[in-house]
Amino acid sequence: MSKGILVFAFNNSHINYISQAIELSKRAKRHLNLPVSIVTDIEIQNSVFDNVIFYNLKSQNIKQYYDGSLSNKGLAFKNDARIAAYDLSPYEETLVLDTDFLIADDKLIHCFKQKNDFCILTNAVDIAGFRDIREFCHVSDKSVQFYWATIVFFRKTELNKIFFDLLNHIYENWYHYKQVYQIEGRTYRNDHAFSIAIHIMNGFVDNDFAVPIPGSVLYTTDRDILYEIDQDDFVFLIEKEKRLGEYTLVRTKNQSVHVMNKFSLDEALKNE
Amino acid sequence: MNKNFIMLAQNSKYNYVEQACVCAMSIHSTIDNANVSLITNDKVPEKYLDLFDNIIPIPWGDLAEKHEWKIHNRWKILHVLPYDDAIVLDTDMLILDDISHWFEFLKKYPIFFTSRVKTYRNEWVENDFYRKKFTKHNLPNLYTGLHYITKDPFAFEFYSVLDKIIQNWKDFAGDIQKEASVDVAAALAASIIGCEESVTNSNVTYPTFVHMKPNIQGWKDISETWQNKVSAYFTNKNELWIGNHQQQGVFHYTEKDFIKEDIKKIYESSLGIL
Repeated sequence: MSKGILVFAFNNSHINYISQAIELSKRAKRHLNLPVSIVTDIEIQNSVFDNVIFYNLKSQNIKQYYDGSLSNKGLAFKNDARIAAYDLSPYEETLVLDTDFLIADDKLIHCFKQKNDFCILTNAVDIAGFRDIREFCHVSDKSVQFYWATIVFFRKTELNKIFFDLLNHIYENWYHYKQVYQIEGRTYRNDHAFSIAIHIMNGFVDNDFAVPIPGSVLYTTDRDILYEIDQDDFVFLIEKEKRLGEYTLVRTKNQSVHVMNKFSLDEALKNE
Repeated sequence: MNKNFIMLAQNSKYNYVEQACVCAMSIHSTIDNANVSLITNDKVPEKYLDLFDNIIPIPWGDLAEKHEWKIHNRWKILHVLPYDDAIVLDTDMLILDDISHWFEFLKKYPIFFTSRVKTYRNEWVENDFYRKKFTKHNLPNLYTGLHYITKDPFAFEFYSVLDKIIQNWKDFAGDIQKEASVDVAAALAASIIGCEESVTNSNVTYPTFVHMKPNIQGWKDISETWQNKVSAYFTNKNELWIGNHQQQGVFHYTEKDFIKEDIKKIYESSLGIL
């Protein structure tokens, strides 16, 4: 059965998602020994990808991108391709990853060894430890459980085809679902759409359509700064509690980290 | 296997008998051949009489006569229990699924209390907003709203201690809280007897119930009522939805005005009650 990683990379005026995807692909090959396919909207000639899949985006959002706690910019956020992952993936078993996921260990290989056909990230751990994480527990204050579309594993099964068709339906009727699930803010988010679709697939109760990916995953938010990448050592400046613009130095080693500050990720990759 | 339920209802400014009738309708709508008994001195509406196989007067006088919060006769339940065993329910509960299999587990115990409850999102309640005194005094986290009793001597002993605590509240628990509470009394009884391990099991996923006290639902803001925070729908198929979540198992609605005419009518219609 074919196995591989699928990444979605659509550059905007400031963020180079494709260079992030190239980094992810190199790391995936080193730690997981898996092929990587990229879905994008521009021509790429880079041998780190086993497939380059062209995709015409349906729309784009504007999102505030933070670069540490003191700086932010409203930029194009092109995120609607992920709902087509089932049809786009060339693999029977697919691991979908965000480009800003720095792989530094082999934990995710266990997705392919376990028996559940759909796994998604639920055990995400904020490296800062003090922040209010409720927005990552439920999609809104009174609504359903939050799942991270950052890491999704699926096999091509009939049930998963239904799931992705449902995702597409939710995307096309986003305004309705946003209201029904009391989601604040205007930006369409894959995390929210996936969470709603899982809730529906579960029959609107707590059920087992989606199981957590094996292990937990560290994340840093866009209020933090990725300072340095040295192979599998990462150095971060983590925002301080109640001290705007001040940071704590944190280093991780041999541990994958989801890095949400895209500016500093781009910068660190240039300097690597 | 017997599937027996019993409730005690004493009307005050609230109509607990009517709540018990709705609860009984919910039991009969979901569990085949269930037996339901009601202990009350109040009148049960004629159309609901058949819901109960026993309507039992409160024995030995009304110890709750002078109290607004009528818990002082609860200890009598076991003494008038018309079955060998039963699940005791608060009246403000709805049974939304067939929970018959719970009896298979419960029969291992002479008496059993739920010690973990859930939110409407089916998440375990970890918050002690309403149970600070349990935390402070290191009391076992027992909920009497749903518990199981048998005619075993140990259950009688437990209920006897429960009675003594409630009737002598000031002496036993005056320092803990002013007003008598059955949950605190049961927790104290378990502590005094030293039997927590024998009357509950926090490792099991049932018996439990959805506890709709508003400030344990994991919401950002504190609220006086849950009904102001999230919508409730009751479908023609006897399904209860709270917000985006279909409810399962046992639902403890806690707010007296939750049961509206439409819910009663749907249950009545499904059971052929005219």
